[in-house]
This record gives sequence, structure tokens and C-alpha cells, in this order.
Amino acid sequence: MSIFQNRIRQTRDRGAYFFIAPYAVFFMLFVAYPLIFSIILIFHRWNIVTPMEWIGLRNLERLVQDALFFKAIGNTLIFLSIHIPLQVAVALFFALLLNSKIQFRGFFRSVYFFPVIVSGVVVTILWQQLYSYDEGLLNTMLNAAGLKSVPWLVDPSIAMPSIALMATWKNVGLYIILFLVGLQTIPRQLYEAADMDGASNWNKFYHVTLPMLNPTVVLIFILSTIGGFSLFIEPYVMTGGGPMNSTLSAMLYIYNQAFTFNHMGYAAALGFVFALIIFGVVIVQRKFIERESYS
Amino acid sequence: MTIDIKRIYCAVITIVLLLVLSGCNDSQEFEAGDTNRGVTLTYWPAPNPQEIELADSLVRYWNDRNPHIQVRMQPIPVGQSTEEVLLAAIAAGTTPDVCSNIWPGGLHDYIDAGGLIPLDRFDDFFTVLDERMPRDILDAFRSAEGHYYQVPWKTNPVMMLYNKDILRIAGYTDPPATYSEYIEIGKAIRDIDRSGSRHGLWMGQRDIRPIWWQRLFDFYPFYIAASGGRTLFQDGEIDIVNEYAEKVLDFFQQVYKEQLFPRTFTHGRDLFLQGNVATNFAGSWQIATIRRYAPDFALGIAPIPVPDGYEGPVYTYGDYKNISIFSTTRYPEEAWEFVKFLIEARHDLLLLEITDQIPVRDDLLRNELFAEYFERNPEIIHFAEQAPYTRGVDEIFDLQEIFDAISQEYEASAIYNRKEPLQALRDAERRIQLIKAWNR
Repeated sequence: MSIFQNRIRQTRDRGAYFFIAPYAVFFMLFVAYPLIFSIILIFHRWNIVTPMEWIGLRNLERLVQDALFFKAIGNTLIFLSIHIPLQVAVALFFALLLNSKIQFRGFFRSVYFFPVIVSGVVVTILWQQLYSYDEGLLNTMLNAAGLKSVPWLVDPSIAMPSIALMATWKNVGLYIILFLVGLQTIPRQLYEAADMDGASNWNKFYHVTLPMLNPTVVLIFILSTIGGFSLFIEPYVMTGGGPMNSTLSAMLYIYNQAFTFNHMGYAAALGFVFALIIFGVVIVQRKFIERESYS
Repeated sequence: MTIDIKRIYCAVITIVLLLVLSGCNDSQEFEAGDTNRGVTLTYWPAPNPQEIELADSLVRYWNDRNPHIQVRMQPIPVGQSTEEVLLAAIAAGTTPDVCSNIWPGGLHDYIDAGGLIPLDRFDDFFTVLDERMPRDILDAFRSAEGHYYQVPWKTNPVMMLYNKDILRIAGYTDPPATYSEYIEIGKAIRDIDRSGSRHGLWMGQRDIRPIWWQRLFDFYPFYIAASGGRTLFQDGEIDIVNEYAEKVLDFFQQVYKEQLFPRTFTHGRDLFLQGNVATNFAGSWQIATIRRYAPDFALGIAPIPVPDGYEGPVYTYGDYKNISIFSTTRYPEEAWEFVKFLIEARHDLLLLEITDQIPVRDDLLRNELFAEYFERNPEIIHFAEQAPYTRGVDEIFDLQEIFDAISQEYEASAIYNRKEPLQALRDAERRIQLIKAWNR
């Protein structure tokens, strides 16, 4: 008799299965079934309205030749390489400030969180106006200061960093809260011991705060990575993937293939490969940034 | 307290069965031909205020006079585009009986899905349509397999609307007819001193994002005009690496290089309506908007500019919207009666009165019925005169993806000057051929 069968028999209250049944049904209908169907779709051509047509590996063959998909992956990685370090650094900076005894601390904690709860589309439209090359507020201010206009969204080399900056502004509030929680769980005795040893503020930050925040940093890196890989609203609303596909994210490209051009099978293939890439990146990330934290 | 699991299971199963059985209620209505009990048709017009108003008037009139064939009007559900909504409806089996916002470019997909019924199955189809337009115009809307799935209803010839006041400030009274005239006037407008003003003045403005359908209002009508009426495909093959497309791309490249158009996209602001942009390429639908929001606007209308040295009539893209009957209809004969009602001459007049859009009929400027309308609305005469010189889109699979490929190269060449026009066209053609190979 297996351990599992023993446990079943030992469970007195079989009502537990009744209570997990709704989620199990939800999971089967909205997660497992779509996942399995997506994998089946990879080997078919389907535009929703006509019957699915088996085409074997043709979608994957097309993917390998599709330079635009790899460009989209590259764009997404560029976005992440700017957005994640910026977000972590900015969030930590403000969390340290908001963790200290300052006036109106509660007010500032709330204000920094506001952008997180505002609709992504609204924020994107606002920033699109700010970034407008000819009449945007940012360039108007630069011109008033005697500086040249910056082609925020119309220069292929600047457009994606501009989007990364905007995304950081939008989401940093959430990570400030996570860092605040992490900071407040650091035992005070560690700082007291460091004070007794004559440690400077920088030494305390580097040798106490950062190591103790490692689990929080790992969490934020992973959340930012997963969130960053789903970059869609900003390029969709702001730039349409331009200028010259420099802001075309992988999610936007998959969306276009699925819902603009109705290539469901090809979009499923793109999504599957993209999911593998995300999985690989997260594994590598954990290996490099996760350290044993001091208990 | 112990829970009697068996009773809970029984209760849950009972509830689920009741829900399932209640959902199986057949709410089917009446059968065709049973005029004693009547039928109800569902009609989807375009979801803009003017066409909803038109549809509402027509449906009320119809329902008053046809108690046994009632029509329920529902604007097309909101979506990114009508084509996406209709495809989703075909997939779900939730299509209406009749829809009057059928874009010919999307027809291929609907036919492929078996979503439409051929209208030439009705005995009087040709009799009715021959009264409205010449057979050669009707044949332009015949599908590749020989049937007619759409009734040509209205067209919006894309023309150049211009602000006479801005041209006058720049020192011009006549609108530009050629590319060089357009650029010359554009430079004069660009150089107007605006140091005291918050907003710039531009010759024109286009959405700089590479969105496929935006090309229907810049590159494509200009290409049709420059080529004397050619579309993208000739004998089923893509044919855009030619002097006409090259001239069009070169023109737009000049326009952006000379900073005659802003490299800006403005959400929710119409710079033309606000008086910051001198020209706009649009159909007659914009007339109603101008009348409502800028009644003092000094509006001029002219054909799309053409390359220097061009001779002959100026063609343009006619943004056709047609009427079709979906295959899910249970009352095809009744639906056809309603379609015939929609395209009666007096209802074409209503279309003009309410929406300022051009009905597809060849007697528009000769028929006394419309004379008084054109007397009151002389600006619409330009669109009516342009209507015979329009082209639609090719009936080709993957048209949206093809326009997307063109849009990418248009962006690279015209807007950002990263490619020579000829190279951009070759790259577009290469990608289009790849698209067609991938999707077969």
C-alpha cells in the first residue's frame, strides 16, 4: 500500500475534496485544457472559422526562418536588461528612504503606489503625450532650457529604453512595498551588532541590508522578469511595434499573428517557444542571483 | 460536527442537472413562410453614430410596414475591427441575418468559412442590381468562384480635404494637384512664423505607427492615383515593384524629410479639425464631423495629388462597405427582401442625408431624387464625381498581413528614411511572397 493511499485512508474529512473541486474544475477548464489545446495547435493551421488542418512541423519550420520573431525576442531582452536593474535600484532607493523616519511617510508610501493601480492603457496614453517629439511636455521643457528635442519614440535606438523608463515609473510602487516588507523583517540586532563593531552606513547596507534582502531581491527579479516578458500594452498603444520594429515585443508579435492575422497554429508555436525561453531565463536568473541568506 | 458528504454530492449533482436542462430550452422562433406567426431578423449596421441613426430610421420604417418580418437592429459589437468581430461571430455561430458593414477585403475569409450565402441564388438579384449600377461595376465584387456574396452599398472615395485658411496664410488659393505642388505649399506652411503660438502648422499628418489599415488612407490611395487605377495584385501575383509605387514612397519620404508632417501620433486629437494641419486624406464621412465640431471650417476638397506629368482621370481608393446575408440565417428569402429595401433609391437618399456617404449607384448625379440634397451639400458632389474612379482592394487571402508587410517598409522608407523606396518595395514583395508561401 503506497503512502498516498495511506494518507487517503487516514483522511477523516473527505469534504476537503469537495472544497477543492471548484478550483480543480477551473484549472482543468481554463489552464490544463487550453495548454493541451495550444500544444495540439502547434501542428495545425487554423484561423478559427475553418476546420483545423494538420501541417506537421511547418509552423516550427516557419518560426526558425522568421527573423521578425527573433527581433521581437531581442527587443524584449533589451527591455528587460534596462527595466529590471532600474526597477530594483529605484525601488530599493525609495524603500530605504520610506523606511526611515521622515515626515508624511504614509502619504509618500501611498503616492508612490498610485501608478500601479492606474490602468496601463491610461498611463501609456499619458506618457505617449509626454514623449511626443513635436509637442510633448518633455521636449517642450527641454527646448525651454535651451536643449534639443529628444526623439523618445521616433528613434529606434531610444524608443525601447523610453518604454522601459515608463514601465519602471508605472510598476516601481509595487516593488517599493515588497522591499519595505523585506526591510522591516531584518532583525534590529544585526544593525546594533554592526554599530558596536563601528560599521559605517555603507558597510551596514552592504553587509547587513543587502544579504538579508536577498530573498526579496530574488522575488522582485523573478516577478519583474515574468512581467517584463509579457510586455504588450505599451508597444501596442504607443508605437504599434515601431519605429522599425524596435519596440515590437514578443507578446505583441504573437498577438498580431493570432488575432490580427488569424494564424492560430503559428501563434501557438511562437507562444510555446517563447514560454521555453522565459523558463530558461528564470532558471538562469535564480542560479546567479539567489544566495544563501543569513538566518 | 460531521458533514454528510453523500447528501452534499446529491444536492450538487441535482443543481448541475437542473442548470444543464434549463440551458437546453429551445427558444427557436418561427419557421420561414409561416407568415401568420412572423419572423425576426437581426441586422448589424456599423457602430458609428451616423449609421446607427440611419439604421434606426430604416428599421422603424420597415417594421411599421412589415408586421410579419420584424427586424432587430444591433450595432456591430465593439472590437479592434469589424472583420475581427465578424470572424469571431462566424466561429461562434452568432452572426446576424444581415450586416451592412462588409469590407470586401475581409470577404475571402468569410466565404472560406462558409459564413455567407451567395446572393445570386435569388431570382431577382441581377434585375435589382442592374437597375442600380452597370454590370462591370457589379462584376468587380464577384468572388473568384463566380458567385456574388455582397451587394455594393456605399463607398467613401478617399480624397484630399484641405483647409483654405491655412493655404491662404501660406499665400496659396488653389490646392496642390501634383507632388511638387504639394511639397512647395508644404514648405511654405512649414516656414510660417509660429513663434508666438503653442502649436505648429503642418501640411498634413498621418499615423506613424505601422498599423496595416492606415495604409488604406495614404500609400494605397496614392498608389491607385499614381498608377491610373492599379491595385496591388495583377493576375493574382503581387506587383508593387514598379515606378508608380516607387514614386509614391519617394513622395512620402520627401514629405517627412522636409518636416511637412509631424512624427507624432496624437490620441483623441484631430489636428486637421483643430486647424493645425492643412490637408487630410479621408472620405466623405469627415464632412459630418466637420459640420458638427468645426462649423466655421473653410473646407476645400480636391483629388489625391499625382506625380508630376500624370495625365488622365485621378483614381483613388473607394472604401466600400457592402451588404451580405450570413449563412446562419433561417429566413434567407425574408433577409433578401430586407436587403432590397435597404438599397432602394429613397433610402440611398436617407444614407446621403444622415451620413454624407456615397451610395454605389451610377445615376447619383442624374437622378432628380438626389438633386435637392446636392444643392444643399455641394461639397459632397466632389465625392459623387470621384466615385466612378475608385478601386477597392484585391480579393486575396491574408490581405491584412500583406498590408502589414507594406506598412513595415513604408515606415522604414517614408517615415524614417532608412531605405531607398525601391529597396523597400523589393523587401515588401519578398516578405509578401514568403507570407503567401507560409500560409498555403
